[in-house]
Amino acid sequence: MKCAFHAAQAFSGTSTIDLIPLKKELAQILHPISMYPRDVEKKRKIDFLKKASEYAQNYHSSIQQVYVRYVDAEQQVLIANSEGKYIEDTRVRSRFVIQSIAAEDNKLQAGFYAPGSSKGFEFLEHLDLQHYAHEASRIAVTMLNASPCPSGKFPVIIDNEFGGVLFHEACGHGLEASAVAKNNSVFANRIGEKVASDIVTYIDDGTLPNEWGSINIDDEGEHSRKNILIENGILKGYLIDKLNGRRMDAESTGSSRRESYRFAPTSRMTNTYIAPGKSTREDIISNTENGIYAKYMGGGQVDPATGDYNFAIMEAYLVKDGKLGKPVRGATLIGNGPTTIKHIDMIGNNLSHGAGMCGASSGSIPVNVGQPMLRVSEITVGGSEGGN
Amino acid sequence: MKITEFQEQLFIADFEAGFTDMELYFERTEKFQCGLHQGEVDSYVTSETLGVTFRGLFKDKMGYSFTEHLDAESLTFLILQARENAEVNEDESQETLFSGSEHYHIQDFYAEQLNELSIPDKLNILRDIEKSLYQIDHRVLSTDMLVLESSSTERGIINTKGLNLHDRNNHMVVVVSAIAQQDSQIKSAYVIHFTQDPEALIPEVIANQAVKEVVSQFNPQNAESNNYAIVLRSDAAASLLHVYSTIFSAENTQAGNSLLKDSVGEIIAAPIIQVVDDPFLANGLYSRTFDSEGTATELRSIITDGKLITLLHNRKTAEKDKTVTTGHAYKSSYKDSVGVSPTNMYIVPSESSREDLIASVQEGMLITQLSGLHSGASTVSGDFSFAAKGFYIKDGVVAYPVNQLTIAGNFYDFLKTVDQIGSDLEFSSEGHGYVGSPSLLIRQLVVTVDS
Repeated sequence: MKCAFHAAQAFSGTSTIDLIPLKKELAQILHPISMYPRDVEKKRKIDFLKKASEYAQNYHSSIQQVYVRYVDAEQQVLIANSEGKYIEDTRVRSRFVIQSIAAEDNKLQAGFYAPGSSKGFEFLEHLDLQHYAHEASRIAVTMLNASPCPSGKFPVIIDNEFGGVLFHEACGHGLEASAVAKNNSVFANRIGEKVASDIVTYIDDGTLPNEWGSINIDDEGEHSRKNILIENGILKGYLIDKLNGRRMDAESTGSSRRESYRFAPTSRMTNTYIAPGKSTREDIISNTENGIYAKYMGGGQVDPATGDYNFAIMEAYLVKDGKLGKPVRGATLIGNGPTTIKHIDMIGNNLSHGAGMCGASSGSIPVNVGQPMLRVSEITVGGSEGGN
Repeated sequence: MKITEFQEQLFIADFEAGFTDMELYFERTEKFQCGLHQGEVDSYVTSETLGVTFRGLFKDKMGYSFTEHLDAESLTFLILQARENAEVNEDESQETLFSGSEHYHIQDFYAEQLNELSIPDKLNILRDIEKSLYQIDHRVLSTDMLVLESSSTERGIINTKGLNLHDRNNHMVVVVSAIAQQDSQIKSAYVIHFTQDPEALIPEVIANQAVKEVVSQFNPQNAESNNYAIVLRSDAAASLLHVYSTIFSAENTQAGNSLLKDSVGEIIAAPIIQVVDDPFLANGLYSRTFDSEGTATELRSIITDGKLITLLHNRKTAEKDKTVTTGHAYKSSYKDSVGVSPTNMYIVPSESSREDLIASVQEGMLITQLSGLHSGASTVSGDFSFAAKGFYIKDGVVAYPVNQLTIAGNFYDFLKTVDQIGSDLEFSSEGHGYVGSPSLLIRQLVVTVDS
């Protein structure tokens, strides 16, 4: 009651709403769960972690520490509103996180991998633990012997899966109605305009079966759907929640999300990805004379008002005369999102998705980022070795 | 159920369930947040949470559980979960409960005047800031964020070793992110103000600062990518130190995550650097009289004349390193298990002004903001490469803003190449702890400009 009293102090003037009787709906289950985590003994979960730790530890003698973490969560939601909406859903997610640290001569480097899924314990049971454990250790060991990254402007090849984080930050956030409705996005009022190179199609799809960022219904009770944001370079749509939809005079796109009841929902991404193109991995690399290959991306951030972004590359290599060269460390990509998507000049055929947590005003939520391998004709790379 | 009543019933039930030592940690948080956008209330949140964590020794293993419901059903839930979690706990160095420090500093960090500020008063602060923003400069286009948040937290620990501690703290923060346009250029900038004193929060001053910060970026020029002397403005320096504050945690040295392992007593920074951790700092966001394990906090030197004096310990890390806890046990919420965090930790300011630092640079960059702090920093290797906003300095004068750039280097080298320290202490609140720094003059970092 105290909270409600505080809440009422925000309003001035008089207005009333007509209450519509609630009509119970059933959420369509797009992401079936076969083993609820709560029904699985903790010891079984721990045994998987131990196995993963061993794989990572035994990969190489320079591996000094391995962290493995497993998180599962079950969230039950009930949404009822004055439009008569009354719907319930259960969301189950599981994630496996591994970090390997390699040490040599007072040098330390880390490698990291964190796949996730909207599944129950079946996720961990069917996960190729050895693959992820070896990759985390391989990255750490590779980076230990990497040279400082050169700085300057380069063509940059970004590999598939978590590589999509760049466009999540650089474009995805600018397509959220929370930025568009206030005109705080470079993409505001530009539907139908060409905003990316012709080969770019950018999609947000919460219905991909059991993916980490998938949902049955959003946090306003709207069913999840596939939203085409950019098609062949043309801006087609935004990610819209009801409040910002009212400001924009547009319908919800099933994109309203929040971490928990403690946050007010707003427009957010689910599984966002660049659709596959025609090039093979080999085509892209062999067509690059002097560039940088980002095998695994780290995190980054963007200023939605300007589109300026920055990203760390976790595992990078030089590309010389169409061939992969030596590994380089400490590379950061900087640039402007709307400019960078115009400079995508090759898109591969190997679409894949990576799991991440995305933080914004409605809290920290699971999202997938995805893309095939692609090439951007030029990005500024900030490394610790000056001059290019 | 009242918290004391709940605790009494819980301890009795736990004892019967086979727990030996038991502890209840509680945290009550009240939060109010409102946002404004072009005259309209845009976001509005009030919340009150009371959460409790139980931890107890079951067959000599520690198990944790937590809940937000203080009812009979939760008693059973807490016991069953903690017991199950204790059974799978394989940590060799087991935590133990604490009977208390000899002496506790007595101080109340709760500001009554903040409590007296009404909700309409708070909304008016935002309205005044917004009005000023558009009045000061016609190029101000919009705000991305214009938010006020006030919060108060009350914490307590009660255990079967006789510990019974309690303290509270409150704060208010205003965040203004302004967007301005000149011709086809769009720029943004933000300012953050923490306070415990509403009188000290002057809307015009905050608006002015935000406007100055955003319009100063118009008409950026190119600059050569090169190695430059860097004046890192206090707020940017604080954010950098904050990201790397984790290397001082004994949890990280013990896990092989920090290169400061075995460095206590060694020179790790320039001799002009003094770093202190002050848990009693006035207006300090992390001010507290006891840490999350109940150890009394103390004012401590972390770096003196460049020499590392101590790492930050909780009881578990101290035992492992055969030393005593420094009172830095921390959990970010009642749900967390106990980790390590600084309280209010900062580089001690000197007498020189920021202008003095700039005046001593023949050619270099003034860096006013770092972004991508977490992704661009490896706290494991010390390597960093951050996107930054900056200005070109020529002959001791700030000449012009520069296009988006990156600065790259290594934090361990960075600490050793601080040549001058300013007088303008600012704090960063993003992450665990409240970490501060004055402006710093760094001999050299690699700068890459997005031309």
